[in-house]
Amino acid sequence: MWLALVVVAAAAAPAENPIELWRGTVTTTIDAVTHKAPVELSYHWDRQHAGRPGLADFELPFTLAGEPSTPWGIFIPRAGNVLEVRLNDALLQAYGDLARGNGADYAKAPTYVPVPGHLLKAGDNRLQIRIRADSARRAGLSRVTIGPAMPVRTELFESAYAWRFTGSVLLTAFSLIVGGIALALWLTQVDADANGRRRRDGIYFWAALAEFCWALRVADGVIAEPPLSWGLWGVFMATCYAGWAASAMMFCYHLAGWDGNPRMRWLRWPMATVVAGTFASSAMALHLEQPYWLTGWLALEIVFVALFVGAFAVATFKRPSLSRLLVAAAALVTLGFGTRDWLVIRLSDAYGETTWVRYSSVFFGIALLLIVLRRFRAASIEARGWVATLAERVAQRERELASTFAALEQVARDQARTHERERILRDMHDGVGSHISSAIRQLQSGQASSDELLRTLRDSLDKLKLSIDSIHLPPGDVGALLAALRYRLEPRLAAAGIAFEWAVDEVPAVKRLDAQGMRQLQFLLFEAISNVLQHAHATTLRIEAENVAGAVQLRVIDDGRGFDALRVPRALSERAAAVGTRLALESRAGRTVVQLDFG
Amino acid sequence: MLTPMNTEALDAGTTRRWGVLVVEDDSRARAFFEASVQRSPHLFWLGSAGTVQEALTWLAQTATIPDVLLVDLGMPDGSGLDVIREAVARFPGCEPLVISVFGDEENVLSSIEAGAVGYIHKDAAPEDIAQTIVEMKAGASPISPMIARRVLAKYRSLQLAGAPTAVAAPEAAAESAAPSLLSAREHEVLTLIARGFSYAEIARLKGLSVHTVQTHIKNLYGKLAVHSKSEAVFEATRLGLLSHPG
Repeated sequence: MWLALVVVAAAAAPAENPIELWRGTVTTTIDAVTHKAPVELSYHWDRQHAGRPGLADFELPFTLAGEPSTPWGIFIPRAGNVLEVRLNDALLQAYGDLARGNGADYAKAPTYVPVPGHLLKAGDNRLQIRIRADSARRAGLSRVTIGPAMPVRTELFESAYAWRFTGSVLLTAFSLIVGGIALALWLTQVDADANGRRRRDGIYFWAALAEFCWALRVADGVIAEPPLSWGLWGVFMATCYAGWAASAMMFCYHLAGWDGNPRMRWLRWPMATVVAGTFASSAMALHLEQPYWLTGWLALEIVFVALFVGAFAVATFKRPSLSRLLVAAAALVTLGFGTRDWLVIRLSDAYGETTWVRYSSVFFGIALLLIVLRRFRAASIEARGWVATLAERVAQRERELASTFAALEQVARDQARTHERERILRDMHDGVGSHISSAIRQLQSGQASSDELLRTLRDSLDKLKLSIDSIHLPPGDVGALLAALRYRLEPRLAAAGIAFEWAVDEVPAVKRLDAQGMRQLQFLLFEAISNVLQHAHATTLRIEAENVAGAVQLRVIDDGRGFDALRVPRALSERAAAVGTRLALESRAGRTVVQLDFG
Repeated sequence: MLTPMNTEALDAGTTRRWGVLVVEDDSRARAFFEASVQRSPHLFWLGSAGTVQEALTWLAQTATIPDVLLVDLGMPDGSGLDVIREAVARFPGCEPLVISVFGDEENVLSSIEAGAVGYIHKDAAPEDIAQTIVEMKAGASPISPMIARRVLAKYRSLQLAGAPTAVAAPEAAAESAAPSLLSAREHEVLTLIARGFSYAEIARLKGLSVHTVQTHIKNLYGKLAVHSKSEAVFEATRLGLLSHPG
């Protein structure tokens, strides 16, 4: 496209084709000395004047066959540092203040100047561009194209603008994002080392520093009017460039694992020197207005970087990993681009070129992102492993607990069985055993009547039945206990001609009566009723149960002949003590009361 | 199911005599029961069996339908429960009584569920035994407070379990048995028995006749037997022993 549009200047051209202007005259003013000469663009000021600042007037004549019928414009890929554009002596546009040096720099972005219709005429025309050049600031004038706005504006200018200006914005944004991520990682990913000291991963720090330096350096491409004068700003930008190179090398240094190798530690010093040297040489170049100071230093720097990248590449091939291979490739490409940039920008007469390194730096960003992603993935795999291990340990513990629990349960079951066995033995001893032995004694003595013997045996069987009932009695349920007792004993009372009265209210459960307590209470009541049966000569037996102010009160009342209430039968008092109830006796002829209070 | 027959027995009670079969492995106890039955003008002796096998053979071959069956549960060749089930299945009019030393809940409840309508204490006096049989044929049914308590507890658990399980067909069968298991009156009577009140006291408290109270209990026995059958069907279906009826 570009080549197709190239038309030799000064030749008569059809009115509607763009014309590239590259031949004319230049009048330069340096240190108050004016010099006029023919010129062929591009015009690289620093190369022509060895870094001396000054002014230049370019006159670029061209011929039109007729007045253009469409809007025209002028596309200037690169001109500056500040400039004025005139056509046929009419001022079209001024970029910056021509009276003041070391200020703005409009050479960074391409320029498009629309041409008012009446200014162009058929025949000879003259484009005049006046520039002010600062030292070592890539001042000058590239070839200029004048022609119809379409395609001069729409194609030539806009694509150049996109590459130079928009490209710089995007690259800055990318570097800031990657740098931000790296900085966040450096701040948050804190590990404890073998000595327990907290340490951060240097690789993230250097990546962040490199990206931030680079963001500043690339952002310069869109800052026409820097906040500092050119001298300071130039030093700052050169230092940023060196800072990026040194930080990127430190990044490689950590990635290669050289930070852990005492024999490689010295490498940090030349890297610091890269920055310091760039600072010093750029300051010298700008102060002395001798750009070759910096050019020379950069040559040294490129040699050092080349050696470093070579060493890194060798180390990578010895111990390859995906991260190192990526970074080594990025470093090699960048080294190549950097060398090319040095040749083109610092040495050649080419003017209007942009650096290539600004694009290769993206590789570093991508490599860093990949490294971070891989590390994150490795960390999450490790974490999953830990979770699985933990889960396995928990399961192991649970199995142990379950078996311990089962063992404990077995012990508890054994204990319960032992208690039950003891209870049955006690019951047998107190109940059936004692009754059978007294029946045997009665038989042996030969004095007992068969009625007495029968009573002993019935007592025995009744107690046995009560024992069996008690197995199912809910602990504390005195009502159920009394009901069972009545059921078992009433036939004998009826047989003895004793009327039975039942005055049992619904009573609440007595919490302190466990299975053993229930048995004791059962025997106590059995004893009391048995006494009435055997000795009282009663006609009525009354059983009462009521709830007195939340406490259960039981009474066995008969209308027999009574007994000395001061001599409490031992069987009763012992059982009452075992149950933990208060026993009260009251007896006279015709009314005997055995009262139990569960207060 | 049992009630009409009982009414009939009540009407005929004064005139007819009941045939009694005894299943008991202890020969002295057998002789004791035989003597008790022989002495009663309302009963006559059908015979006795000393093993489950003998009893089953007797039931298979008899020409006379036994009105009353006295069964000891602990037999040398099996459980008296099998004899009860067989007798009830073969002769719906036959009313089995369990001979029990202790009248304990476990044995009595399982006998009732097998189809028994009551139990006799082994240590009862001879005349009491005949009287218990006659009273039973007249509609009485002995129940102890302990058994009443157990039935109530079972009823409560059935009510709790019945509420949320009205989905599957076998469950519906079990559920239909649960509400009809106890009427309000039966529940009332059972509660008082569990609290130790006698039939006479309950009749006085509730303004019923003693006979009505006894009928309630006897009906309850029948229901428990029927219920235990539907429960068994439900359990078997649930366990996959029987194929689903639908």
